[in-house]
Amino acid sequence: MKRAAFATALLFSSLVLASGGAHGDSPPDVIMHHVADAEEYEFEIPWPGVEHNPTLHLAKIFDFLLFESEAGACETPVPAKSALSAIPGVAKWMNGCYDMRPTKSLLMMWISAVLLLLFAAWPRRYKDASKLQPTGMRTNMLEAIVLFIRDEIADKNIGGKETKRYTPFLCTAFMFILMMNWLGLIPNFGSATGNLAVTCGLAITTFVLTQVAAFRSAGPVGFAKHLTGGVPWFLTPIMIPIEIIGLFTKPFALMVRLFANMLAGHMVLFFIISLTFLVTAWAVVAAVPMAAAIYFLEIFVGLIQAYVFTMLSAVFIGQGVAMGHHAAEHH
Amino acid sequence: MDVRPGLIIWTLVTFIIVAILLRRLAWGPLLRAVEGREQKITDAIESAKRERAEAEKLLAEQKAAMTQVRQEAAEQLQKAQESVARFREELMAKSRLDAEAMKADAARAIEEERQKAVLEMKAQAASLALTIAERLLEERMDDAKQKQLAEWFANELGPRAKA
Repeated sequence: MKRAAFATALLFSSLVLASGGAHGDSPPDVIMHHVADAEEYEFEIPWPGVEHNPTLHLAKIFDFLLFESEAGACETPVPAKSALSAIPGVAKWMNGCYDMRPTKSLLMMWISAVLLLLFAAWPRRYKDASKLQPTGMRTNMLEAIVLFIRDEIADKNIGGKETKRYTPFLCTAFMFILMMNWLGLIPNFGSATGNLAVTCGLAITTFVLTQVAAFRSAGPVGFAKHLTGGVPWFLTPIMIPIEIIGLFTKPFALMVRLFANMLAGHMVLFFIISLTFLVTAWAVVAAVPMAAAIYFLEIFVGLIQAYVFTMLSAVFIGQGVAMGHHAAEHH
Repeated sequence: MDVRPGLIIWTLVTFIIVAILLRRLAWGPLLRAVEGREQKITDAIESAKRERAEAEKLLAEQKAAMTQVRQEAAEQLQKAQESVARFREELMAKSRLDAEAMKADAARAIEEERQKAVLEMKAQAASLALTIAERLLEERMDDAKQKQLAEWFANELGPRAKA
């Protein structure tokens, strides 16, 4: 058993070395290449002698999704000293180059979405509500998850009639993020949640729902009043900007937390594997078990981060729902 | 780290589509089924409780009825026994009275009969005595003797007749 594990580790390391060698890049380049978004999806076959991996050129296939406000807007280089030079994607957008072409991250997201739909929404008999016991492993799993989200997350943080309204959103958020997190653990696939734009999109959904919840419960007047923070009138010019910024900090934290956790996990995995060819090939003896341990940790982290995102979304929505009650108490 | 606004938009679009599809096809039916089941279990527990309470009430009622019936039966029995006893007493008393009355009647009748017999006997004895006396007198009486006897009668019976 031990010998078999060792042989597998050696084989694995040789494959890693072979594929790393095929690229001819330094380990940091390889790592960044793996975790960063890309305009094409390269299906790596880590086998000696395979020179060209099958590659899906997403940007070229979906070229019709590249819109320009004026001809040549996409060719204009981003000025190196501009404020947005650190984020070239946004800078290009500001220049009038509306790039809607899918990327590797989006492909991963779509794969996750399809897998999730297959898992959760594949036709089955839900209609017979009179059945007292759930049937089938998949239904049982889904019920356990959905009931946990309803009872432990939604009901405890939102509560009352509003629980029912937001439970489907929280279920989708949890399962979708979980699927994206875990997809990245399968070799040759990536985590869409390891991309800041993706987590930004997810955080926006929570942000919008939080504001909707607040607006619904407090009404326009209560909502506006809440922005003043209840301070004396002459302080409102200071308070309103602070409160508005405060609205954004919570989803911002959601966005960064999920992104950083998923990115860091993958980077740690790659770094440990890279020890093999950064230090000595014999480091594989330590690197592979360590990577395996980190791998298991990543399974856990993927679950925890999905839970944390869902939990905090429920907390924020709950705060929004509670805003109306506070306003009512003040009156 | 690069951020592509296009990817943000795609994320939102994908998320909304997935959310709507899952709400329609998965969470909605699932939650409805679960709620239906919860409702059913609650109802079942409620009705079981209600039925149990009802059964207990019925049992208590039945027990009470049984006790009452038993008590009534005992009372009836006692009453019957009492009435029987009383009836017997009455009967006994009455029959005793009857017997006494009959005895008294009999005694009276006997007495009457006796009296009647005595009277009859007296009458017969008198007439017999007279007849005997007549015969005797007819055969042996002469004047001297008749005179002697008449005197004797007059002497002997005179004071008594005067009295």
